[in-house]
Amino acid sequence: MKTAFRRVPWLSLGAMALLLGAAALLQMRIDAQASDVAAQKDELLLSSPSAIQKLSLGNEGLLADIYWTRTVQFYGSHLIAHASNYDLLWPLLDVTTTLDPKLIVAYRFGAIFLSEPEAGANRTDLAVKLVKRGIAANPENWHLDSDLAFLYYWRLKDYPDAAATYREASQKPGAPLGLKLMAARVSAMGGSVETSRMIWTEIYDSSKDQTVRNKAAQELELLKVQDDEQRLDAVAAEYQHRFGRLPANAEELRAAGLLRDVPTDPEGYPYVFGSDGKFALDPQSPIEIPVLPPSAEAAPASKYK
Amino acid sequence: MSAMPGVVAVNTFREAVRDRVLYNLVLFALMMIGAAILVGQISLGIERLVIINLGLSAISIFGLVMAVFIGVGLVYKEIEKRTLYTLLAKPIRRSEFLVGKYGGLLLTLLVNTSFMTLGVGVALYYVGRPFVRADAWILVAVYFILLELALVTALALFFSCFSSPMLSALFTLGIYVTGIFASDIRGFGEFTNNEALKTATTVLYYLVPNFHNFNVISAVAHGEAVPVALIWQNTLYAVVYAGVVLIAASAVFSRRNLK
Repeated sequence: MKTAFRRVPWLSLGAMALLLGAAALLQMRIDAQASDVAAQKDELLLSSPSAIQKLSLGNEGLLADIYWTRTVQFYGSHLIAHASNYDLLWPLLDVTTTLDPKLIVAYRFGAIFLSEPEAGANRTDLAVKLVKRGIAANPENWHLDSDLAFLYYWRLKDYPDAAATYREASQKPGAPLGLKLMAARVSAMGGSVETSRMIWTEIYDSSKDQTVRNKAAQELELLKVQDDEQRLDAVAAEYQHRFGRLPANAEELRAAGLLRDVPTDPEGYPYVFGSDGKFALDPQSPIEIPVLPPSAEAAPASKYK
Repeated sequence: MSAMPGVVAVNTFREAVRDRVLYNLVLFALMMIGAAILVGQISLGIERLVIINLGLSAISIFGLVMAVFIGVGLVYKEIEKRTLYTLLAKPIRRSEFLVGKYGGLLLTLLVNTSFMTLGVGVALYYVGRPFVRADAWILVAVYFILLELALVTALALFFSCFSSPMLSALFTLGIYVTGIFASDIRGFGEFTNNEALKTATTVLYYLVPNFHNFNVISAVAHGEAVPVALIWQNTLYAVVYAGVVLIAASAVFSRRNLK
């Protein structure tokens, strides 16, 4: 009798495990057949931000966090899949910032997601709209003015508006002196990598958020790589000019007195010499250049952005 | 007033503990741990915000569920189990019994909310963020949630004096939702040209408890200060409104035929 009682739990557990396994197998079959349903994940059931706000019953902040997380997931998954349809990005950001108008990170990163030409929605107009909304809701926050100026300057090449916005940003409480310098520089000159470096340096220095700082540090590293490769390519071109052919390796450049030694990337890995006579990152280097669609890779000016 | 309400309150609290009501804290703890670990992996730059928003929203929602579903059974259960007759045979007024029941549930909610607040603090510490002065406003948000729950509990108790638990829960939740939308309802009235409708929505606005007053979660999550005037005004509003509801509950319960 005792043995029979002891067996019952084990039998139950075994039956439960078997049934759960069967349920999992069934779920796999359902998933395989439900590609249409899965495709519907990229839809907003409610697209009216004010309706969502009302339905949140006072939990707008939490809902905004959830929508922001969904925005990040949406952007990330599309980036990885090299998808070009970012149509849902604006509605998601619209809902997020309506639910929580103080969510600065959504304006700042949202503007990047929207404005990126290859790795984003390529909708600088919406990025400008988003950041302007952020400034209206957070008039004391100079970071947003700085971001808006960046959009005018870097994406739209609208230097007068960029300079004016940098000036406005520099007048806000806590704004670093660099913004005034930016206003002056943008007023005086056209677009350059140097300016982008200044902006990312400012973001790196001013942000307390480690994720934002990491992103800025990564961008700065990429800019440094871009600088180095341009400089080294110029040296290779000079070699070609002198000797009528591209150098086969760095040694030939050294022998010609054009290079003292092979410089290293920001992570300390020496640049390597390609068969096309151009320098590139060491494959072992942890620096990752964003993978872009073929059409974007054809445009060297936007290779690192 | 005698010491009887206190005795009833302590026993109501003990009963709630015996009923394992505080087990919801385990769920809350798991939720906070999950959020603290997960959010950093799946989102961007909102670890601190999520802990505060999720923590305070959970305190509010868990508290609301407890206030409504325990509150609506406070009187009904005593009548159903016939324990009320034994109690009322003792030197205790019906109004004292109600106040005691109300105090007991408030005590339960206070203990529950305190532990949850502690959980939010631990989760904030876990996400590696040093505490700053502005975090004190989180405690004000928790205090406002408690005021809100005090109002909800009073409403649930009021309905439980003359209605079944199911209907009482529906009435209480209905008033809660109406209270959240109170300013919108008044806004709709102002859009119309109908003076009668405008007056009706304005009267409704002042009649239902305006629960939106107590919501400062988003503001404190961003480290914004809560005006001191709002703290005492909300306190007074909750005391006055809960007082009115308890007097009404007492009036109804005193006249109720328990035979």
